[in-house]
Amino acid sequence: MAGVGYTAFTRDSGVSTLTLACRAIMAALDDAGLGPGDVDGLATHRVGDSVAPTVVGPALGVHDPTWHLDQFGGGSVSHAVVGQAALAVAAGLAETVVCYRAVNARSEFRMGGTGRGLPVSPEIQFQAPYGYVAPPQQYAMYARAHMLKYGTKAEHFGHIAVTQRASAAKNPRALMRTPITLDDYLAARWIAEPFRLLDCCLETDGACALVITTAERARTLRRPPVLISAAAWGGGASHLSGGAADPTTSAAAALAPRLYAQAGLGPSDIDVAELYDCFTYSVLVQLEDYGFCPKGEGGPYAVSAGRLPVNTHGGFLSEGYVHGINHIAEAVSQLRGDAADRQVPGAEVALSTAQPGYILPATSALILTKG
Amino acid sequence: MPDRDSAGWWELLARGEFAVQRCASCDTLRFPPRAFCPACHREGAHWAAIEPEGTVESWIVNHQAFTPGGAEPYLVVMVRLAAVPGCFVYGNWRGAREPRGGQAVRGVHTRAGDGVVLLDWRPAGP
Repeated sequence: MAGVGYTAFTRDSGVSTLTLACRAIMAALDDAGLGPGDVDGLATHRVGDSVAPTVVGPALGVHDPTWHLDQFGGGSVSHAVVGQAALAVAAGLAETVVCYRAVNARSEFRMGGTGRGLPVSPEIQFQAPYGYVAPPQQYAMYARAHMLKYGTKAEHFGHIAVTQRASAAKNPRALMRTPITLDDYLAARWIAEPFRLLDCCLETDGACALVITTAERARTLRRPPVLISAAAWGGGASHLSGGAADPTTSAAAALAPRLYAQAGLGPSDIDVAELYDCFTYSVLVQLEDYGFCPKGEGGPYAVSAGRLPVNTHGGFLSEGYVHGINHIAEAVSQLRGDAADRQVPGAEVALSTAQPGYILPATSALILTKG
Repeated sequence: MPDRDSAGWWELLARGEFAVQRCASCDTLRFPPRAFCPACHREGAHWAAIEPEGTVESWIVNHQAFTPGGAEPYLVVMVRLAAVPGCFVYGNWRGAREPRGGQAVRGVHTRAGDGVVLLDWRPAGP
């Protein structure tokens, strides 16, 4: 990984997703010391809410990419897109791929179920008539199941929100930088009990882009290279018949051993983790399912001193919500050692993850290492 | 909302029944309705009437209207069906008090405002 780029994160960008994509891609190429003429691959993920590589390429003068990917999906496929770009580069189909995600997720297409069509899933017909349609509801349902089974408390979720806000306070890109306390968390209005407002990620306008090339080429470019040491895909369950019978375990539990084996590393080797945090509970369940603590102890682990640094940029809860790509970019920054006030000293191995396979049965994750 | 796989299920529900599919080859029960059995990978199924009984796996209390026309707060419950291993269904709650984890519950057919028959849940027993 040779470059990362961002647009500003806002609540109303005032521009098209094409403009956002182009800005983030140009910033990432500039970071790598490259230009659009060097790009021969483009990849994105989207759910009908953004621009395809076939639109972005011509807009930047990339007229004949040798590889492209227009992946349908939300946060569960964010890391799969980067994994596939790495495969394309390794296979020689492209030499320099840009992965991007550009959304006006606040001002144009809100993910929360208001003002847009229902998700593409045959299962939604058995849920929507009861007013059960939106991700905060679904994750709140799983969070309550975890509370009932393991004694997980609101304070555990609150600590995750408070800690990530403290990280965002050190991040100039973050949308929400004013520190919060556990009392602020507990006083926030209910969205869907057991979730309060501060359990939920931001809805953000913005874009983020990543430059992926061969390790050999990356070593000749402007910035210190970061290596993709593992990329794994997972299935997950729908939590209806024939799926997983335990809603307190995510698809990450099955994916994690494959991911670690590919890298030849384990949970104790991870220096920093940027975990998909559409909600506080998603962080908690991934701390368990990626093996940082025993199953059921994600709450106590999250509040323990000396635990793994997680979501050093503030995450979706406080930096902004760019559907997984900003988590990968922050991991790159940590491994290059340029995360300024947020830097985890000596970080050499990072885990970054996609939506852990609740809701739709898919997930993906990366292990990145200092080059 | 019904599709080509589920239309028959919705028709049964509208008649006050509750059923899941039973695989014609291996007898495995499955829900939601679809053509292939995930256990034996064959097509073909019969409707198997089952008691709408289960236990409370989880629930949420919604403080905003996530769909048009809803009045909040409203409660959605996740029920683990007793008759179908590993199967969860969702519905609105018809209990006087909030549910409890593991509470035994029974489905109640209700007619929604648009005439569609749905299955809600209440505490089991008299």
